[in-house]
Amino acid sequence: MSKSTIRYSGRTRARAIKTFLGQFLGYGGAQLGLLCLVFFLVTAAMPNILVGPLQTAINATGDFLAPPSGQHLLGTDEVGRDVLNLVVHGARISLTIALLATVISLVVGTTVGMTAGYFGRWVDVWLMRLTDFFFVMPSFVLALVITPVVLEVMGRGREILGFRPSLFVILVVIGMTSWAFVARVVRSQTLSLKERTFVDRARVAGSSNFSIMVRHILPNLVPQIAANGALVVAGAIYVETSLSFLGLGDPLQPSWGTLLSLAQRAGAASAGAWWYLGAPGVCVLTVSLSFVLIGNALDDTFNPRRRVIP
Amino acid sequence: MIDSSQHKGSLLEVDGLSVDYGLKGVSSRAIDRISFELRAGEAVGLVGESGSGKTTTAMAIAGLLSPNARISSGEVRYRGNRLPIDHDAAMRPHRWSETSVVFQGAMNALNPVHRIVKQIAEPCMLKLGMSRGEANARAKELLELVGIPADRGAAYPHELSGGMRQRVMIAMALACRPSLIIGDEPTTALDVITQAQILKLLGELRSRLNIALILITHDLSVVAECCDRVMIMYSGRIVEDGTVAEIFAQPKHPYTRLLIESIPNPASGKKIIRPIPGDPPNLVNRPSGCAFHPRCPSAMGICATELPSLDKFGQGRVACHLHRSSQHDKVAAHA
Amino acid sequence: MLDAADILRLESLQVHFPIQGGLFDRVLGRPAGAVRAVDRIDLNVGRGEIVALVGESGSGKTTVGRLITKLAQPTGGKLLFEGRDMTFVQDLSALRPYRHRVQMIFQDAYQALNPRHTVFDIVAEPLRSLRLVDNRTQLTDRVSEALASAGLNPPDDFFSRFPHELSGGQRQRVVIAGALAVKPELIVADEPVSMLDVSIRAQILQVLVDLRDKHNVALLFITHDLPLAWLIADRIAVLYLGKLVEIGSADEITFNPRHPYTVALRNATPQIGANAGRAELPALQGEVPSAARVPNGCRFHPRCPLAFDRCRQEEPPPIEVGPQHMSACWLAK
Repeated sequence: MSKSTIRYSGRTRARAIKTFLGQFLGYGGAQLGLLCLVFFLVTAAMPNILVGPLQTAINATGDFLAPPSGQHLLGTDEVGRDVLNLVVHGARISLTIALLATVISLVVGTTVGMTAGYFGRWVDVWLMRLTDFFFVMPSFVLALVITPVVLEVMGRGREILGFRPSLFVILVVIGMTSWAFVARVVRSQTLSLKERTFVDRARVAGSSNFSIMVRHILPNLVPQIAANGALVVAGAIYVETSLSFLGLGDPLQPSWGTLLSLAQRAGAASAGAWWYLGAPGVCVLTVSLSFVLIGNALDDTFNPRRRVIP
Repeated sequence: MIDSSQHKGSLLEVDGLSVDYGLKGVSSRAIDRISFELRAGEAVGLVGESGSGKTTTAMAIAGLLSPNARISSGEVRYRGNRLPIDHDAAMRPHRWSETSVVFQGAMNALNPVHRIVKQIAEPCMLKLGMSRGEANARAKELLELVGIPADRGAAYPHELSGGMRQRVMIAMALACRPSLIIGDEPTTALDVITQAQILKLLGELRSRLNIALILITHDLSVVAECCDRVMIMYSGRIVEDGTVAEIFAQPKHPYTRLLIESIPNPASGKKIIRPIPGDPPNLVNRPSGCAFHPRCPSAMGICATELPSLDKFGQGRVACHLHRSSQHDKVAAHA
Repeated sequence: MLDAADILRLESLQVHFPIQGGLFDRVLGRPAGAVRAVDRIDLNVGRGEIVALVGESGSGKTTVGRLITKLAQPTGGKLLFEGRDMTFVQDLSALRPYRHRVQMIFQDAYQALNPRHTVFDIVAEPLRSLRLVDNRTQLTDRVSEALASAGLNPPDDFFSRFPHELSGGQRQRVVIAGALAVKPELIVADEPVSMLDVSIRAQILQVLVDLRDKHNVALLFITHDLPLAWLIADRIAVLYLGKLVEIGSADEITFNPRHPYTVALRNATPQIGANAGRAELPALQGEVPSAARVPNGCRFHPRCPLAFDRCRQEEPPPIEVGPQHMSACWLAK
């Protein structure tokens, strides 16, 4: 058995996907991650049905900083709002920002990384210098710099894509600072893919560079992009939380980070209001962890030594 | 299976050896009841395509099977003693000093950060208990033996060409004076002229040091050049076994015949391409009966149902109903 | 054979790869030296002719194939296709008509097929890229036809399969079908059978020979195997270290080689049945030097058992030693 060829009886893409899912779900981490993720996605999809409209200081229903009880499962905050209500609404904001930022970062990162890797030479040199610049850029500083710009352009009270200006800034900042990681991963993979013979074959077949990149390189990058995309989401949730915690969030659209920030400012820690800090904190931890688990499981599944779709 | 009168004088006896590979719960038989023997100083070629089990056979003999392999039947005897081939630690004293392996990729088998003389000296120190000085002297002696000037011993592997590295591998294999060398496609990665040099070297060393050689290859013509005997493997079984002269002049098994005919041979003067239909079988779905029957031009009804045994035929052995039936006929005629 | 029927002609075609130096040189894009991968090669291929390009690794045979298929750029000389100069054409739209007529078959079919594309998409790719079909029906017809010509029957069975679901021989047939689909006039085949199992090789060779016999496709067959070249080719060209050392009919090169390197190559090739005349020359010593350090004079002289003073100083030109048989050796006269 000097060379063993593994043959599959499956003949269609659907079959290949089914095999892939079978293997992916075989990892305990993937199961746990998916379970948590589905739970939070459902929560984020229908906060109004689950816990009613977002409570403000005006329509708050409870006492100040009341501990968890039958009426307020996760207690209340310093103005009497139900923490469960806030956390569920926060899930929507946090997840949306994280996912949208990830989309930005994947699109930009893949485009830059693939272009740099495929064309090489000076294109590669300059694009990668640009990538390095964004790679080391601290997100907080960037946020401080672009906030006034965005406010100037949008106006303070307007919304863009349903986001208030400060959240939009956070979204853009996370997108801008996380694509560099994706670009590096994609570039290194592209460098090895472009040396593969099927790229030569495509060239002999008369395909243009664009077509080779889209039809030959990109589909083979999907495993890398998917696995790293999940890790980028986890990172984005953390960055969103820390930016909001530092006060860059918007109190009218509170994310988990904003809640943590409010809790900290209300002295929840010293007052012993563990539920106020704990609820959003545990949510952040769980969601990022589940994305990390999914990312690792994807990585393992696509690992060339074991992968189903070669 | 093995004639007991021949036990004396044979270096290696492989008796009914079967190896299974387990992969994700599916077990597939890589080699199926392989039996052969090897005399001291004999050179035998083990020829087959990918998936024929030639490498598995050789690795089993060297006790170097991968962890997912399982020996499901048979045994290997060396000078009459059973080898613990399924036990890596127990095989260690035997390897190097009795059986050495020369692999295909010499670059992977050499450590890039050590000088070659040190790498050759190492087994001498470990196995033969030599001092560093003695081992270094021995290493230089071995380098000269394989045609590398002793002063090149200070080189690192990457400073040598592919052919030189393969010579180093041979020198290492010879370090502990083994009686059997297994060459796993030792010349496949080399160019034609380098290949000829290495094959010539192996032949010279063999006759000078009386070493037996098992040469694993997919290339029949390499075997024709440097072996006494050849065993043809197909789908995990030996289908034909005989002397080189006999097999190339008069192949018995249809597979051997087609294989020989498919090799371009200018000496024959005939420019005819004779394709063998079909694909080699995979190990998981091996055809019933004789595994070659779906591709065999002379297949009969019995070939699909009954596995032909590897029987003595003339000087060698062949596993084919065509030849067994003719032998039966002869026996019948005599009776 | 330098006549109008030639489909392809190479005139002192050469490739000198620059060697990249240290970091400083690289930033400035300054070459530190040159590898003479292909050195002034003259070769012509007639319509429907099979020419074998034989050489060891490092002989530049693969680079010649890549030059002809425009996967690599020459640094000098001329590449003429039907008399048109294609040497420095790089623009995609200008290359399309050329790609339509010159195709390539690769050594490692597994590597040459995108694992994420189906057989249909793989074979259809050149037809789509070169815009050779107007509609889906035409496309399906052409793909079916190509698969059938490559011996994959019935073609429909293979449409939706992925490369990893095929055997080694079938994969190489898919690569061939991809090249056939555009109905080319010249195919460059780079070691098309060396990765295949011995019992499959003849099947693939048969497909290639059929192409010539049925469709008059010219073939440049790149190989390291002299007997294989003899079997399939009309003419054989032998390369050593980027230079053509001998060219002639397949029988002439095999049975009457006039360059010491060809003789050495023939003697080194293992053969079934000991052939006569083996010991004409002693076996070669040493190995092919690097193309970055090509010896002066005849580049074969350091290894040549017959070398004399002139070989060390002057590079021999191709010398006619018989009808259409040239050898670049001072002893050939």
